[in-house]
Amino acid sequence: MANLNIDSVKERTFDAIVIGSGMSGGWAAKEFTDKGYKTLILERGRDVKHIKDYPTTNMYPWEFEHRGEMPMAVQEANPIVNRCYAFHEDAAHFFVKDKEHPYVQDKPFDWIRGYQVGGKSLLWARQTQRWSDFDFEGPARDGFAVDWPIRYADIAPWYSYVEKFAGISGNKDGLAELPDGEFLPAFPLNSVEQYFSKHVKGKYNRHVISARCAHLSKPNQIHLDQGRAQCQERILCQRGCPFGGYFSANASTIPWALKSGNLTLRPHSVVQSIIYDEAKGKATGVRIIDTNTKEAIEYYAKVIFVNAAAMNTNLVLLNSTSHRFPNGLGNDSGVLGKYVAFHNYSAHMSAEYDGMLEWTTDGRNPAGGGYIPRFRNLHKQETNFLRGYAAGFSAYRRHNRSWDGVGSSLKENLAKNDLGVWSVGSHMMGETIPKEASYVKLDDKLKDDWGVPLLKISMDYDDNDAKMKKDYIEQLTEMFTSAGFTNIKAESDQRAPGLDIHEMGGARMGNDPKTSVLNKWNQLHAVNNVFVTDGACMTSTSCQNPSLTYMALTARAVDHAVSEMKKGNIA
Amino acid sequence: MNRRTVIKNLALIIGGAALLPSCMQEKGKASIGLKNINIDADQEKLIGDMAETIIPKTTTPGAKDLQLHLFVLKMVDDCCTKKDQQDFITGMGQFTDLVKKQNNRSFSECDQKQREQILLAIDKDRKDAKSTAYPPELKTFYNLVKGQTVNGYTTSKYFMTKQVVYELVPGRYNAFYPVKKQAV
Repeated sequence: MANLNIDSVKERTFDAIVIGSGMSGGWAAKEFTDKGYKTLILERGRDVKHIKDYPTTNMYPWEFEHRGEMPMAVQEANPIVNRCYAFHEDAAHFFVKDKEHPYVQDKPFDWIRGYQVGGKSLLWARQTQRWSDFDFEGPARDGFAVDWPIRYADIAPWYSYVEKFAGISGNKDGLAELPDGEFLPAFPLNSVEQYFSKHVKGKYNRHVISARCAHLSKPNQIHLDQGRAQCQERILCQRGCPFGGYFSANASTIPWALKSGNLTLRPHSVVQSIIYDEAKGKATGVRIIDTNTKEAIEYYAKVIFVNAAAMNTNLVLLNSTSHRFPNGLGNDSGVLGKYVAFHNYSAHMSAEYDGMLEWTTDGRNPAGGGYIPRFRNLHKQETNFLRGYAAGFSAYRRHNRSWDGVGSSLKENLAKNDLGVWSVGSHMMGETIPKEASYVKLDDKLKDDWGVPLLKISMDYDDNDAKMKKDYIEQLTEMFTSAGFTNIKAESDQRAPGLDIHEMGGARMGNDPKTSVLNKWNQLHAVNNVFVTDGACMTSTSCQNPSLTYMALTARAVDHAVSEMKKGNIA
Repeated sequence: MNRRTVIKNLALIIGGAALLPSCMQEKGKASIGLKNINIDADQEKLIGDMAETIIPKTTTPGAKDLQLHLFVLKMVDDCCTKKDQQDFITGMGQFTDLVKKQNNRSFSECDQKQREQILLAIDKDRKDAKSTAYPPELKTFYNLVKGQTVNGYTTSKYFMTKQVVYELVPGRYNAFYPVKKQAV
């Protein structure tokens, strides 16, 4: 019996445990297994195997029962996830339904989740930009949050490292505010995007660049080695890509880690808490509930990476209490769960342009068009709000296919090939300021099916966001007007935070253990064998799409963890 | 299994409910299973005739060939709010009555030209949001029939393979593509 027990513990012991299998968890697993460490990934949802588990990926529009539209019964039962732009018949199976995993909204928060192997990396919008020192130095310069404990130089080689493997398309634009990376060829701007780019460069010294995105425009050997192929411009990414044309954990890091023979992937495993050993002064493992058997099981490892996605990483840490850490693992400072923030996507613009009519486009652009890097408050504070925003910009031409009328003339109209003028569109991506009053915490009473307290979420827009939004609309209106665009419309919506799916913070990095949870290596100040490298670690949000930064921080943190293990500092 | 069901099943086997003579369909049920709205065979025929008026058979397939009326019913049944479903039924009654009153005959008894005129009048009126020429339920009914007929048509396999070809795998993005190259 005793031997059996020892064997059982042995079987449940690994070098590293990674909680979560999405964007950052997949990277942690890949890095550990590449370096020869036996690694366990715990994923709360089901397995989603590359290609095999993409049931809709090769379906034609007419093969969907409602041609993509969600049945009203599903929409009404899921007011939250139904607000997500990608919740349609082709990808709904990758989203958490509202009732499956409830949470408490102290303030309205649309929490969009993907509980499965690969997480939201299957569903993301694939936009990838580096941060610069304008971003890392933001909190210190502008006096909010705490100073980032790292600078661009610390992370730059790791951006390069993950970019080469993930495959990022883009141009070397030479912009200090948006450093260049290891790029595959960019998807080019079209005629109107290029026209607008030249116009705003000349008139405002602002930039419109080809959006940088995680698509294999021209794969290298390292991508072929992953079993991935060139992006085929389908733009059906949210279904899962049979070519592996965009980066997802499912297509890239996880199969790679599995191939090493060092990875154990355990789906259906809800992490209840991290086990802290008071005597040893370190974390020794993780308690999970198997969602199929309801069995509670413990797994052990020398080092633990928490990559459960920002909000759930906070939940796991807050729920990991002990005599030493009564308020959550590593929470000596009391800031765990606080200073959460998001991105403000609540304004967009549309207009028309009747130039460049000799051009159109052919095929589809996976990058989505152009990207306007932040131009406000870049070198110094110059507006009545802090920080700034990036913006998407794209131009497209539709056919004149009027739905007016009935009969044979309508039929003819619907099949017409003559083109309308150009339509242009833009959306804002604004930085929001992390504040102490913005928090996630555990509900006192309510628990989920696995006995884990429900998460309470409270964050909101503030006056800074309102001023920034106003500025975005004013600036884009002016830029559109001076470019000769017409029928310019600005729309501001009332979306709740969360719909941006860029929630961040709660376990922020910082130099001072009194005011932050993680050190410059994404390591808990107080527990040196626990690392957080997903969105929870973010000290501030800047306005770049965050995933690339999570990937780079993860690879960097694993490298550090391994060197500490080799030195015997983590054992 | 009653006689009517037997006949109907037989009809389905020999080539689809749409081919049933109207005398046999009278007082019958709709030919597809619906969960939320009650549609009888006459009403299904009305939607079918409206859809065929909107997308008529020409040298190319029309609404009935593509079963667009069944798509309309499916979408109303599955993807509309309760209110829109109620308005759809109410509006259908209003439409039926209005047509009878104005033309002294039912929509199905009208010839193609009359049918087009009836629908065109509503089609034009709906652009004016303030117009009270038609009751709101009738407008909802018409908008759903029209919208879903056209939606069903433009997303049908026929349309997407023979009219405006949909490419599942483009395999290219040409950012500068001369308009002249486009077949007009």
